Amino acid sequence: MTGRRTAQVCLTLGGLIAWAIQFTIIYGVTSTLCGRGWADTALLGMGAVQITILLATLTALAAAAILLIVSLRQERQQRDHPASATDTFLNESGVLINGLSLVVILWHGVPAVILPACA
Amino acid sequence: MNAPELPKSFERQEAELPNPLPRPEGEFEALKKAWKAPRGLSFITAVNNTYVGLWYVGTAFLFFILAGILALIMRVQLAAPESDFVSHDLYNQLFTMHGTVMMFLFAVPAVEAASVYLLPNMQAARDLPFPRLSAYAFWAYFVGGLVFFGTIFVGLSPDGGWFMYPPLTSTKYSPAENADWWLLGIGFIEISAIAGAIEIIVGVMKTRAVGMSLDKLPVYSWAMLVFAVMIVIGFPAIILGTLLLEMERAFDWPFFIAERGGDPLLWQHLFWFFGHPEVYIIFLPATGMVSMIVPAMAQTPLVGYRLVVLALIATGFLSFGLWVHHMFATGLPKMSLSFFSAASTAVAVPSGIQVFAWIATIASGRMRLTTPSLFVIGFLFIFTLGGLTGVMVAMAPFDWQAHDSYFVVAHLHYVLIGGMVFPLFAAIYYWVPVASKRALSERLGRWVFGLMFLGVNVTFLPMHITGLIGMPRRVYTYPVGMGWDALNLVSTIGAFMIAAGVAVFLFDMARNFRFASEDNAGNVWNAGTLEWLPNGNYATRSIPSVVSRDPLWDQPNLPKDVEDGRYYLPGTATGGREALVTSPFDARPQYILQIPGPGWQPVLAAVFTAAFFLLLTVKFVFTSIICGVLAVGCVIWWLWETDPGPVRPPADIGGGIVIPVYVTGPMNHSWWAMIVLMVVSGMVFTCLIFSYLFLWLVNPGAWPPRGVELPQWIWPSLSTVLYVGSAILIARASWLLKGDDRRSPRSVPILIGAAMLLLAGASAIDLRAQWQAGLSPSAHAYGAAVYAILSLQIFFVLTTLIMGLYTIARWLAGKLDSVRRTTFDNSMLFWYYTVGQGLAGLLMIHGFPRLTGGA
Repeated sequence: MTGRRTAQVCLTLGGLIAWAIQFTIIYGVTSTLCGRGWADTALLGMGAVQITILLATLTALAAAAILLIVSLRQERQQRDHPASATDTFLNESGVLINGLSLVVILWHGVPAVILPACA
Repeated sequence: MNAPELPKSFERQEAELPNPLPRPEGEFEALKKAWKAPRGLSFITAVNNTYVGLWYVGTAFLFFILAGILALIMRVQLAAPESDFVSHDLYNQLFTMHGTVMMFLFAVPAVEAASVYLLPNMQAARDLPFPRLSAYAFWAYFVGGLVFFGTIFVGLSPDGGWFMYPPLTSTKYSPAENADWWLLGIGFIEISAIAGAIEIIVGVMKTRAVGMSLDKLPVYSWAMLVFAVMIVIGFPAIILGTLLLEMERAFDWPFFIAERGGDPLLWQHLFWFFGHPEVYIIFLPATGMVSMIVPAMAQTPLVGYRLVVLALIATGFLSFGLWVHHMFATGLPKMSLSFFSAASTAVAVPSGIQVFAWIATIASGRMRLTTPSLFVIGFLFIFTLGGLTGVMVAMAPFDWQAHDSYFVVAHLHYVLIGGMVFPLFAAIYYWVPVASKRALSERLGRWVFGLMFLGVNVTFLPMHITGLIGMPRRVYTYPVGMGWDALNLVSTIGAFMIAAGVAVFLFDMARNFRFASEDNAGNVWNAGTLEWLPNGNYATRSIPSVVSRDPLWDQPNLPKDVEDGRYYLPGTATGGREALVTSPFDARPQYILQIPGPGWQPVLAAVFTAAFFLLLTVKFVFTSIICGVLAVGCVIWWLWETDPGPVRPPADIGGGIVIPVYVTGPMNHSWWAMIVLMVVSGMVFTCLIFSYLFLWLVNPGAWPPRGVELPQWIWPSLSTVLYVGSAILIARASWLLKGDDRRSPRSVPILIGAAMLLLAGASAIDLRAQWQAGLSPSAHAYGAAVYAILSLQIFFVLTTLIMGLYTIARWLAGKLDSVRRTTFDNSMLFWYYTVGQGLAGLLMIHGFPRLTGGA
């Protein structure tokens, strides 16, 4: 697999990879902080669990948004300069996957606003 | 070697086909001879995907029937209150075996088996890239599965539920060997599934029709690719889980015993990290089948191809964020539960996308109401109902009410029967004309569908109510007057209706299925994909180039031209079996892969592998070890015939394309397989590190526990130096083996030998350091976790040492040089992995407790 193709795959799947990282962090950190009784640490009036979820969610959202913009830009470029069918397919899939990922990532951040950290 | 630059012509409809007519005399005969299946007793050594695939499907179906019979026995027992048709002890074995056999011996093998048969045909490949691996996977499953099932007749079947939760399955509460049968009996079936997954990944990515770029890949191939990747990521968790529980039972290492720092919840995490993706592992191939059947029946291309591919990929990812929804009732923090609740609802979106794509396809074409169509419609109805109750139990508060009740039994059967069994029946009715001289009967097929569809609903719809009014799962009987009597009787009647449907199906198969190698029933549905091309043992006479996703619709002359040998590689370039390897994205021809033919090696290796695990279960340790050694010996015997080298100069496959018959490096198919194997290994290790951290989390202030000293820094430092030194020596040997001049320097085996010594020394020093420090594996979960990491590393080191010896033997036999070096490359990749894992393990064992200061 060439470097260009590897980059294309990362671009196409990037949103879901960002979700996977967000998920691992929010679940791992919540379990650790609650399990060890470290969740009471507060910063700027927010608990450590909430801050972690907020930061992880915003970072993942930003990553997925950037990937979505890049996919859209590439798709637009290909409309002007036709590329191979594989390239077009990968870019269009990237737009769909990164778009869906934005919703999924946001959805996973919602509990932080609603629920207490370790109840 | 690089693939030649090709003209782009094969991306368009070609005016001139790659090979002219008439074809040379004897070309077709040579092709047929190379692919001829063995006769007589040797027939079982056949490795053609068409043979192994059918045996595999047949065996999976046998287990479906056997597990179904177990279900009928349970339904008879539950038909009336206070029944004593079976004892509670046997009932425990029945429900455990029903779940285990259906999930491990039917569902996963059935979809893998179908793909062994279908994938090469659908992609116009001559075979899968590792046909002997498929044969090995099948025989290990066949022998081991039957012996495993046989335990029900002697009262030795596992009885702790299909998910085998400790402490119920720990030695204290399950001292007999029943649980060991599950832990070791399922072990090799997992190996078989992973072998199949590696085959599928490399098969989908590397052996396709020319021009079948990713945008033209059949949806079924996409589904199988996602399926195989999910197995690679998900199955290692259960492999590790079974290893840890068996080590606890055999050696008293307390991973799950709370009094000594263990935690039964660790098992639940490991089990369900595999167990929930498992549901999608069997569902996605079924959706792939449906996405092939619906367009053929509606005679129109699939609507929303890209969206369906997106749905498959998204499901593959999201399904790994669901596992805790099986643990909603374990008391985890609500915040944690909500993440899994979110993923559980999110995963409904891609499933919905697929359902709407099928409905849109049906609406845009003219659907013929054939038996496959009926089963697809039945699937949509039943699966959607199961999906809706799935959204209900995805809500933690509702789940707390319904947990461990018959509501969950109803839900999971709607999902699994709807999502997997109905599509499989649709697939059998749809694809039998590819494998048989006659299609199955449409009239009988309608009876099969009617009985099964009504039967499923009559059986499982009442169970929602039975569950909501309080009947728990897994009870062997119930008292009169609970309000459950009539509902249970109805469910039992329904179960026998399903059985009647399956009996009619078996009658239909006996009457109409006649194995065909060259004279199949043909394209009876006027489908558009390549499995409907005329074929024989050699698959298609020539390898077509395709210009769309439905080539038979868009290239009307394709079947005849392919059969006449006008497309690529119409004969055999090397005189043996070959496959055309294509590039993973654009499907441009890269090289001709010489693939091995029939042989006893995979059959014997499989039998000895199964014997190793099964004999270990009944504590015949010495005999078991002999079988293990014989299994490794058979694998080496099998491998010895592989890596043939460039036996002839590059060959012309037609259309002016000249490609080599041997390549090395990242283009090579076995390089890909090694990378996948490394991912599997990496996932096992990752799950072990997760287990280590989990046990740390539940043992505040005891990591390490009081009285345990960490070994001094000097020992892990020395191990690190040896590991790195070993990798450097292998890198040096690789550098010496560069060039096109077929050189074979003497220093190569010396370097490999020295690297072996360093590798063995590194792991031995670490083991000795822990032992010297007085760490006991059975006193506390800390010691158990440390020794588990060490044990895994020692297993990898031993495997690498065997590979090192094998590579040296190849050099001594003159089968290894700077061109013919695939064996060396594979060993090198595994070597680097083992070194990397060793270093990560050292960092974890010695660094983490110091970092946390024993907290």
